[in-house]
Amino acid sequence: MKQINSQSNISATVIWLILVALTLATWRIGEAGMVGKSAMLLLLFIAMIKSQMVANYFMALRHTRLIWRGIMFGYFVIVGGLIALAYLRSLA
Amino acid sequence: MEAQSPFTTLIEISNYQSTTGKKNLPGDFALWIFIFAEMLVFGVLFVAYAFTRAYHVELFNESQLTLSRTSGAINTLVLITSSYFVVNGVSAIKQGLSKQCGYWLIGAFLLGGIFIIIKILEFHAKYAADISMSTNAFYMFYLSLTFFHFMHVLMGMIILAFIIFKVLNDGYSAKDYVGVETGASFWHMVDFLWIILFPLVYIIR
Amino acid sequence: MKYTSQAVAKPYFIAAIALFLGQILFGLIMGLQYVVGDFLFPAIPFNVARMVHTNLLIVWLLFGFMGASYYLIPEESETELFSPKLAITTFWVFLAAGAITVLGYLLVPYASLAKWTGNDLLNTMGREFLEQPLPTKVGIVLVALSWLFNITMTMLKGRKTAISLILTLGMLGLAVFFLFSFYNPVNLVKDKFYWWWVVHLWVEGVWELILGAMLAFVLIKVTGVDREVIEKWLYVIITMTLVTGIIGTGHHYYWIGTPAYWQWWGSIFSALEPIPFFMMTVFAFNMVNKRRREHPNKAAVLWALGTSVVAFLGAGVWGFLHTLAPINYYAHGTQLTAAHGHLAFYGAYALVVITMISYAMPILRGRAANPERAQIMEMWSFWLMTVSMFFIALLLTGAGVVQIWLQRISTTPMSFMAVQDSISIFYWAREAAGVVFLIGLLLYIGSFFVKGESRAIE
Repeated sequence: MKQINSQSNISATVIWLILVALTLATWRIGEAGMVGKSAMLLLLFIAMIKSQMVANYFMALRHTRLIWRGIMFGYFVIVGGLIALAYLRSLA
Repeated sequence: MEAQSPFTTLIEISNYQSTTGKKNLPGDFALWIFIFAEMLVFGVLFVAYAFTRAYHVELFNESQLTLSRTSGAINTLVLITSSYFVVNGVSAIKQGLSKQCGYWLIGAFLLGGIFIIIKILEFHAKYAADISMSTNAFYMFYLSLTFFHFMHVLMGMIILAFIIFKVLNDGYSAKDYVGVETGASFWHMVDFLWIILFPLVYIIR
Repeated sequence: MKYTSQAVAKPYFIAAIALFLGQILFGLIMGLQYVVGDFLFPAIPFNVARMVHTNLLIVWLLFGFMGASYYLIPEESETELFSPKLAITTFWVFLAAGAITVLGYLLVPYASLAKWTGNDLLNTMGREFLEQPLPTKVGIVLVALSWLFNITMTMLKGRKTAISLILTLGMLGLAVFFLFSFYNPVNLVKDKFYWWWVVHLWVEGVWELILGAMLAFVLIKVTGVDREVIEKWLYVIITMTLVTGIIGTGHHYYWIGTPAYWQWWGSIFSALEPIPFFMMTVFAFNMVNKRRREHPNKAAVLWALGTSVVAFLGAGVWGFLHTLAPINYYAHGTQLTAAHGHLAFYGAYALVVITMISYAMPILRGRAANPERAQIMEMWSFWLMTVSMFFIALLLTGAGVVQIWLQRISTTPMSFMAVQDSISIFYWAREAAGVVFLIGLLLYIGSFFVKGESRAIE
């Protein structure tokens, strides 16, 4: 029992560090003033990956039924997809 | 009289205890309905932002530059870290360590306070520059989204405060920690939404 | 009846049903005036009939809420009512004030009524739904305060439950927001802005707390499901209601001169208002399915389930139909609004009051439930009223869609009155549905007089 918990603490720490790194990357890209299709898609992708990590690891949805992760993943696809679509339209 | 519900499936899903070792949602299911509804609200606002921007690209790009990306990024780190603290708090209470759980949650609460302070400074700067929701479409969305999220941070902090109080009075244990998980889920949602909000409104152009 | 002071609810319930009947009669008069313009003119002009129809609705619902809370609060608090005498006095004052006001509407020209009742002192009259003369408005405030006082004092000396807390909170909100009816700024935008603080924040805000509390109470009683489960749902539903409902006020601020961001705020938040109603439907059915006892009052269960479904459809779905700003641009103030108004008020508020009456009245008369024949009559009246109200809503929706098309979308738009002529067929059919509704209501009233064997209270 103890061991499982310390394991999940370690994985939470790893996730936390990844999230911090991705946040700093996002900030750097913003400061560098990168624009255009690929920068937009990259940033959006990073944001959505981060949110999925929070859902799966912090909210611990990866241990739950598929439907709950499905809802979160659906959010990723629909909200992320629609935002991307709107931005691509403005670039076209 | 027989009440046949067309909604029974939905309820069954919520009460589902799997045979395959999969767990229920952490915390109280009623709060999860609330979390999903909140995500929907923000989702609609995010998409509305993106499509409105498509019609006013110049205006959005120009106004976006007036935001402080650095304070937005710091706030992201603050929320991510406080979420991480909450994860540790939950795993502490699962081992029956009330004190440790309380300390982790106090840490998360204080980080929430830092978020609030930074946000107020940001709002103040915009207010001082005479910017309001009627200034233009970008600021309308910026102020609406961040203010609405701000209220959720406050709400989350109130919930955390209640839990901290209870956990330090030994109100939870290794067997009964649903309340902690419920509050934790709400706090993670606040983090989840900001993680999307920050790049969308502050950075992506 | 557990506490003798609960008996004060009885006169309130009787008055509520009597005024409900009055409301329906005036509804039928107006419905006919839609197609036969000079019917009963000049005795009862259309504007007067409309005023009486809507004001009676509010007053009978208030009677119902008050009666319900005088029944519910002692039982929840497990103590006698703080002051039954005050409750009875309040009843007579409210009834007399209501009757005099309606007589004033009917017998005196509105302008003279305004002059005689001190509208020059404080100008509050002449606004839709807030037509009441100044003394009546003050009276409503006093009645609400006396009610709130009595209930709060009862709760303070007894057990405090989530249901009684939410009910009291709803009543407090009702009293507070009514105060905005005294604020009548000259600026028309401001006038409308705050007018909605009474109208919208009542029906899409604080009244929903009262609705939720009453429904939860009846469900606990008839299903025997654990209080904790029901209270948890109640909290979640109420929170969602307030978040969506309060900001959702914005759906009235699209075209009245308020800032443009209301189009976003109003659209998004009010579009989510159906969610708490949907949750209420899920909640009610779920509780009934999980019931731990077979309550002898089957009719009350039917009314309760009916409330949750029709409220969702009338308030939720029909509201959503025209709540988004781009749609509302065309649909604003058409018969679509009337369709929504009818089904929502019936489903959310008329039905919940009847649910409460149907549950409490037999107990107040010394039995657990009415005789079977009376219950069957009640069920018939439920179906007659509900189905006919659906027809009213559908017909008005049809009328509204044609109206929008002919008057606002068509390349050769017609004038308002010409359009009204061309949709008269909808109005005739609506009037017929109204007659069926009246029959249903009369059947309901009749069910109170059915004699027969009934089970005593366990």
